[in-house]
Amino acid sequence: MEYTHITPRPVIHVDEEACGNAILCLKCVKACLEAGPNCIGFMNTEPPPVGENAPQRLEDIPHKIISTVMVNCNGCGKCVEACPKGALTLEMPEPQVPTVRVQRSDIIFCFTLRDGTKTFPRDD
Amino acid sequence: MCRYCVEYGGGTKWYLNPDNYRDELYTSGAHEATVKMLSGVQKNSFDVGAMSIADESAPDLYSTDSLSVGMEQMIGHGGQVVPLEDALKIIDLCREPFLLMHCACRRYFGKTDILRCLYLWPQVIETALKERPWEKDSRILSKEEAKEFEIDCDKKGFLHSIWHAAVDTDGILPMVMCHCTATDCIPTKFRVSYGVINAQRKGEYVAEVDLAKCKEGCKEYPACMHRCQFGAMRYSPVERVMYIDPQACFGCGLCRPACPYGAIKLVDRSSYPSLVDNW
Ligand code: SF4
Ligand code: SF4
Ligand code: SF4
Ligand code: SF4
Ligand code: SF4
Repeated sequence: MEYTHITPRPVIHVDEEACGNAILCLKCVKACLEAGPNCIGFMNTEPPPVGENAPQRLEDIPHKIISTVMVNCNGCGKCVEACPKGALTLEMPEPQVPTVRVQRSDIIFCFTLRDGTKTFPRDD
Repeated sequence: MCRYCVEYGGGTKWYLNPDNYRDELYTSGAHEATVKMLSGVQKNSFDVGAMSIADESAPDLYSTDSLSVGMEQMIGHGGQVVPLEDALKIIDLCREPFLLMHCACRRYFGKTDILRCLYLWPQVIETALKERPWEKDSRILSKEEAKEFEIDCDKKGFLHSIWHAAVDTDGILPMVMCHCTATDCIPTKFRVSYGVINAQRKGEYVAEVDLAKCKEGCKEYPACMHRCQFGAMRYSPVERVMYIDPQACFGCGLCRPACPYGAIKLVDRSSYPSLVDNW
């Protein structure tokens, strides 16, 4: 029987258009940091130009919100509350029934050996 | 000795093998791609970008091996904890100057901005200054200053970790040393929260407590315990001694200078047969 278990966690959806250049606000990042879990970060939308048109200040680079480390999210909703533009939605996972599982790892922490052999973990 | 050392250590640890600091590696295949992304304009898209997809790429917290493969084979970047003495040896193996720059994990997750990423290759400085003119807070350090920085980090309780720019058949290129805490460092969080081994591998050592010394030492409140970022220290209020769990210890050595009684030392991870594959 094929069975895939996905560890449940909340998801934050970001409406990037409504948010605009996130770096000018970052209220959600701050709210989540103050709440404790610190799941939300920000990054540039794409690598900025090099040369004459290179940005001189971080604020001149377009940034977007990234929700990651959501395994630590407790669903408090503080980020959603903090957003002045209504750009965030919080999606909570369905309640789950604990499952039986077998844990294993065949990893040897180096996937490329010097002779070129690849040693990816077995997936059986 | 970890598997990286077996394959690429040339008889020592991979990050102490001078072969891995050869200039050719900097511009060869897999290494060059990572070096380019980390030193130039793609830096944030590269390292913060890798973080941004963590939830998608680790759908199952109890089977994150695929993310370890991804770190090493696709992202071409991964870290390992090193104690102060090895951090200083790494500095010695490198040419000056060094680039000390902001810590992306802290900045891009809203935390206090501090300079904590120490880039090892002089070539990085040129690219970074040229391509990222907005990073005006970076500093250029001499070898001596870099060592002082390492010592200062150790005092303050920031763990040292060495980061490679890709594993390829010609070697593993040590690229940058980071100075983190598990509270702020995204790769360390990937390790402790997601179980992604190659995001932050354990060091080549484990800490041991001299129980006789310890018993005569603190007695009440363990002075070392707050230094451990990995929950490896367990204090017994009955025996009045500190136990360090070798299976949980990352070998960072930060607990060691905090003991006023000199009761903690680091030993080789390989002195515990059960740790042979525990990285
Ligand atoms: S719901 Fe709370 S914990 Fe989750 S991301 Fe938002 S602020 Fe952070
Ligand atoms: S609080 Fe809202 S507007 Fe502000 S950065 Fe976050 S998502 Fe964007
Ligand atoms: S790895 Fe550590 S020092 Fe480097 S950017 Fe992340 S937290 Fe900062
Ligand atoms: S017990 Fe000491 S050496 Fe081991 S992880 Fe904790 S602080 Fe580091
Ligand atoms: S600081 Fe030293 S003496 Fe005190 S509990 Fe820790 S190991 Fe023992």
